[in-house]
Amino acid sequence: MDAFSMGLIAAMGALATVAGASEDIESDIGSQSNPNSQVQLAAQVGNPHRIYNKAISGEPPANALWAATAAIVAYTLITAFQMSALLALVAGASVAALFNGVLSMSAYFGRNSSQKRFNQWVYLDIIRYTTPSIMAHAWITSFCIATISYIMVYMLPTPHPFPMAVIALIWGLAVGAIGSSVGDIHYGGEREFQNRQFGCGLNTMLSGQIVRKAEAGLRNSIDNAWFCTKFGGPATGMGFGLTVFLDNWRTTVFDPVTQAPYAIAMGLFFIIVMVVYNNYIEKSARRKYGPYPEYKGDIAA
Amino acid sequence: MSLGGAAGGAPSAFDPKKLRMYGLVGSIVGIYLGAILNSALNTNVFSFIGAVAAIFAVVMGANAVRRVCAYGIGTGVPSIGMLALGMGIIAVMFGLSMAETLGSILVGPIIILVYAGVFGYIIGVIANKVIKFNIPVMEEGNADLSMAGAMAILGWSFAISGTLGYVDILNNVLMSGYIAIIFIAGGLAILHPFNANLGPDEQQDRTLVNAIMVSGMAMIATGIGAIATQGLASGLLQLVIGFAIWFYFFKMYYRLVKRDAAAVVGTGLLPPTVQ
Repeated sequence: MDAFSMGLIAAMGALATVAGASEDIESDIGSQSNPNSQVQLAAQVGNPHRIYNKAISGEPPANALWAATAAIVAYTLITAFQMSALLALVAGASVAALFNGVLSMSAYFGRNSSQKRFNQWVYLDIIRYTTPSIMAHAWITSFCIATISYIMVYMLPTPHPFPMAVIALIWGLAVGAIGSSVGDIHYGGEREFQNRQFGCGLNTMLSGQIVRKAEAGLRNSIDNAWFCTKFGGPATGMGFGLTVFLDNWRTTVFDPVTQAPYAIAMGLFFIIVMVVYNNYIEKSARRKYGPYPEYKGDIAA
Repeated sequence: MSLGGAAGGAPSAFDPKKLRMYGLVGSIVGIYLGAILNSALNTNVFSFIGAVAAIFAVVMGANAVRRVCAYGIGTGVPSIGMLALGMGIIAVMFGLSMAETLGSILVGPIIILVYAGVFGYIIGVIANKVIKFNIPVMEEGNADLSMAGAMAILGWSFAISGTLGYVDILNNVLMSGYIAIIFIAGGLAILHPFNANLGPDEQQDRTLVNAIMVSGMAMIATGIGAIATQGLASGLLQLVIGFAIWFYFFKMYYRLVKRDAAAVVGTGLLPPTVQ
């Protein structure tokens, strides 16, 4: 281990933190992934709305596409045209953002026009001002992920044996999975149902009864980005940043070939510490903000 | 019945059997045409035909997703698209290496197609009988999906490498990492159409036009890959054709959206509720 590689690991951790945050906000602006089901349901239970419906796929495949696109464009520009890495990565992220824009728009058009019988309209102004915000966040995510892959393959003292695009694909899947499990709850639970008691869970009766009106005027997806930037985005960023940093830290401090058992032991140690810490957080949240409604047992189907 | 045809067992404007035939014949013929022209004329400008051939397979796959998922697999749409490409990539690797072992690379696509069909059917039987999905078209749908995934991967791999040789595809597509974009863009081209148009008023023609549109986008990506592996001329040709396909079908998709939507408005307040 030397100071240079430790610096690279720190840079990767920082990039991953930014990528995680922008990924979550990107999905929240478009109501992708888990909270999407409620946006989709809203019109069907008689609540047409003006919220973006970006049903591209689950977040993991979608983000894998942006990251892989950025990586292949950058790889092509670097190998075929000897372009400087930074410019190539910027160009790659731009292509990825364009792909994102196309898929976002087609999902908004398609989902809303498939709800004709519920009178859900297609609003073109939503497309015009929300899609660029989604694309901008996708740009940040794919730039950061492609840069992490570049560092892993070309700059670390022990380079990763996989090609850059495959690593970007895997990190894209990872950031999508983390964004889907960490940040979405903030948007889905606390923003779409902000008129309900904190921590009340989602009763089936409330399905589709999302908040459609804002403090002034109608709720739009840019408002949701503002809300999610306060907690969901940063929490996702921390989750993904820690994943990238700790995982690379242990294989940099311990040589993965000669000291593999130490690296594995360090990984197990991190997992145990996180399990204990998560348990503590959950208990302390219940102590401070409870009581939550009692669990009354499963209801027979 | 409208031209579109709704999901969920309702009649479709395009018969799945016909679409399957067009998909399989189109993709196989396209891949062979590209491969033979490339090797006969000792060039690689015809690689784009492989990418166009993949679009036929994608349309067939998107229709299979639509048929299987219309039975209420809402959140499973992305998963089944990934499953299609997962089955496909195994078939492609198996078929190409078998063809290399047999000494004739041109039998590769046929081996891949047969293997993918049987493999997909078995996965469908397992899904229905063991996991008990109990979806009537599951076996057929999975065989379709597996073949569509395999042909899409093969077509786009050929578009990047320029030959059907196992070693060339291994070096140009797998080791360079371009397989990542083929896998994920191909997966989205198969799963995105139905996922993006999910809803009670989904129309078959709109879904399939979306599939061609996303395939055009994937072709832009393979064109970028081809620039590195085959040179500027061949890669740019592919990229430009991909862009043209994307542009034309995006406009067509928007026309169909305007036809199907309750209303397409510039701006406005919430519509009056219909219950």
